[in-house]
Amino acid sequence: MSAIVTITDVVKEYSLGATVVQALRGVSLTVDKGEFISIAGPSGSGKTTLLNLIGCVDTATRGVVEVAGKNTANMSERELTNLRLNTIGFIFQSFNLVSVLTVFQNVEFPLLLQNKLNAKERKERVESLLEQVGLLTHLKHRPNELSGGQRQRVAIARALVTDPLIVLADEPTANLDSETGQAILDLMRSLNQKKGTTFIFSTHDHRVMRYANAVVRIADGKVKGRESPQEAVAHEMELGPDPTLSTEVRAS
Amino acid sequence: MTFFGRMLWVIAFRSLLQHRVRTLILGAAIAGVTALLVTLTGAFVGIRTTLLLSATTLMSGHVNVAGFYKASASAGAPVVTNYKKLRAIIDREVPELDYVVQRGRGWAKLVSESSSQQAGIGGIDITNEPGFRQVVQVKEGSLDGLTKPNAMLIFEAQAKKLGVNVGDTMTIVAPTFRGTSNTVDVIVVAIAADIGMLSSWNTFMNDQGLRQLYQLNDESTGALQLYLKDLDQVKPVQERLRKVLAAEGFELMDPDPRPYFAKFDSVNRENWTGQKLDVTNWEEETSFVQWIVTALTALATIVIIVLMAIIGVGIMNVMWISIRERTREIGTLRAVGMQRDAVLAMFVAEGTLLGVMSTSVGGLLGVLGSLALTRARIALPPSWQFVFFSERLVISPTVFWVLTSVGFITVAITLISIIPSFLAARLKPITAMSHVG
Repeated sequence: MSAIVTITDVVKEYSLGATVVQALRGVSLTVDKGEFISIAGPSGSGKTTLLNLIGCVDTATRGVVEVAGKNTANMSERELTNLRLNTIGFIFQSFNLVSVLTVFQNVEFPLLLQNKLNAKERKERVESLLEQVGLLTHLKHRPNELSGGQRQRVAIARALVTDPLIVLADEPTANLDSETGQAILDLMRSLNQKKGTTFIFSTHDHRVMRYANAVVRIADGKVKGRESPQEAVAHEMELGPDPTLSTEVRAS
Repeated sequence: MTFFGRMLWVIAFRSLLQHRVRTLILGAAIAGVTALLVTLTGAFVGIRTTLLLSATTLMSGHVNVAGFYKASASAGAPVVTNYKKLRAIIDREVPELDYVVQRGRGWAKLVSESSSQQAGIGGIDITNEPGFRQVVQVKEGSLDGLTKPNAMLIFEAQAKKLGVNVGDTMTIVAPTFRGTSNTVDVIVVAIAADIGMLSSWNTFMNDQGLRQLYQLNDESTGALQLYLKDLDQVKPVQERLRKVLAAEGFELMDPDPRPYFAKFDSVNRENWTGQKLDVTNWEEETSFVQWIVTALTALATIVIIVLMAIIGVGIMNVMWISIRERTREIGTLRAVGMQRDAVLAMFVAEGTLLGVMSTSVGGLLGVLGSLALTRARIALPPSWQFVFFSERLVISPTVFWVLTSVGFITVAITLISIIPSFLAARLKPITAMSHVG
């Protein structure tokens, strides 16, 4: 399989007043096409930062980030936006749907930005995806009329509607109950298998890691290794619960 | 419009609807300013219309062929000799003409039993004055009485000051154009409603009576007042007449945009005798009152600028709030591939939509309010009558000024909304997405 994402010696620093915080400290990673990969680590380990760099919504302080064969450091803001539009789909922890648009319009929005399909083709594409995520009967609903699981399924449909090469999901089940979270992961994996889309999702939940083909473990801004899901879960059990999480979350 | 463009308008409209309290408050403020602007422009049009009507009834035509006759270098009189020949030239050269009247011009002292005052006297042939009857509202007596030689029409304020009623006699004392003083007794045959400040020093008497007072022959008059079918033709007709009359051998005064009574001093200082014609228009003859329109325009401009500044700050604040509330949404849209210019367009569309909806409502309210105020025939206090040239409030909103007001405020709001929209568009996706609040 060929690499769809290549990250080499990437450092990401943030300035917090006079203090410089290193979120990533020389990360290198390769993700192949069609992978269903999890980035695992405790809160503050750099998972979201890494996803943001892969998703081209942030830029590295040092190092090289290549997405779909393109070095993102050499791209203009407009080119990066186009790369996100045509190559990457996003699924956010908080769903991030446009509250004033209907389910159909939220999913259709990236297609309108692309301006490649006519109205009929767009309708077919959107309805097909909403059927796959089980929301064909909710086309005209607004996000506030949906449950958390339904909203995340809309977000998944929106992420996939442009047929992206990569889908990035930042803790996609964090705001869902375990049953809904499991259903969402089943859906993502099924879409990965059907379409061959690369999925990269972050989590610190070992039950979520089980779904991945591979788990990239990250801690203190560094990649600690690439493991199988079974190894990752075993590792997670040894470490015990994440001390940064609330008791309620740890118990779930 | 593309589907994407339509979607931006949908987002803008629904965002406004989602925050309907905020939208309503700001929209009401914008609508209020628009209604005020429409009303103010309507008031200006009303003043100008009333001024035009009263000025062109009392003291001027749309275009005037008048001038001065000087028997000696220092004794100029507002007289046009041989006016019938001039009339023939006018009839021939001005196809835009609706009708033309000849008016005598004089300045005299009116003496009643209890008081006196100086006033301009128009010599009028009431049988040949179609416009006069339409504008002058007779409160007492009858305009037909002006057909008698020594009959006089005065206005209410003058009648009150002089203490006269219809049927009373007054004496007019006037210096004749030959340097002697002459008197004539006149009977008040009509008292008319005041027409703003212009009626405070204008009176009218039978034109034959005025000729007798000033010892003028039948070939002489004060001015030929031309009334045109189309007011836009005033300047071209004025220019044409100057050229034609000069070509016909008449001596013409240099163009001077002042009323005739302001020219006495300068004319009497000039070293010529005989007849010189002066071709003026109604705006020049009323230039001494145009300051009122200018002052009101300046005042209204200041009011509108202040209100627009307040509204502008309001719009900026509301858009800032909207942008702060939707920062994560901006981040999401940027992340999924929306370019900066589209974000800018989305927020500008919101400002424009708010502007269009609010100004449309404001424009409509302004028109309805203006019409209601005019229909209510609200009596103006005397000091306001002086400014409005009318007894009653007249607000005349026109399509042009309503559309201009609505367009101006909409464009201003759109421009104001560009600033916060631009800053929203500049947000980095990562900054916007990690916004808390």
